[in-house]
Amino acid sequence: MASQVLPLELIDKCIGSRIWVVMKSEREFTGTLLGFDDFVNMVLEDVTEYEMTPQGTKKTKLGQTLLNGNNICMLIPGSDGPES
Amino acid sequence: MDESPPPPPDDAPDTQTPPPPRTIHTGSPTDFLKGVVGKKVIVRLNSGVDYRGVLSCLDGYMNIALEQTEEHVEGNVTNRYGDAFIRGNNVLYISAAEEL
Repeated sequence: MASQVLPLELIDKCIGSRIWVVMKSEREFTGTLLGFDDFVNMVLEDVTEYEMTPQGTKKTKLGQTLLNGNNICMLIPGSDGPES
Repeated sequence: MDESPPPPPDDAPDTQTPPPPRTIHTGSPTDFLKGVVGKKVIVRLNSGVDYRGVLSCLDGYMNIALEQTEEHVEGNVTNRYGDAFIRGNNVLYISAAEEL
């Protein structure tokens, strides 16, 4: 019987490393993961926000940020986002 | 059982147990929220509007009370409020605008 790895255990392993967060809308974040909770609200550091608009991608740099988990769609561990 | 220390009197302060360490930083959302109260923050709503101000208090729903609030739309200040309450369901993120 293969041992189960829960999805949130995988995210727990990512604490301290870079992570790419893709939202439900045309918005993405990259940052260093400091922590998260059961709702997958995430605390990130050295954050870049990417807003994809018809006019192009708008980048915003942020410091320590609590990202609401409500609109998170996908997490890509170890990646530095759309530019990498 | 003669070696066992007598139980401390009920009214004596507990000197055996050190206070729980308050400085351990786990980085969890709860810890972030505790650390950011009283600091300047940027709150972005799902609509893309930013509110910049001093975070006076907040709760587990991300309901937020801000002081000295500036409303930013596409980089321009569109309004100023002394106090503002933001309902948590609209909040996309809370970002520290100064060092924690």
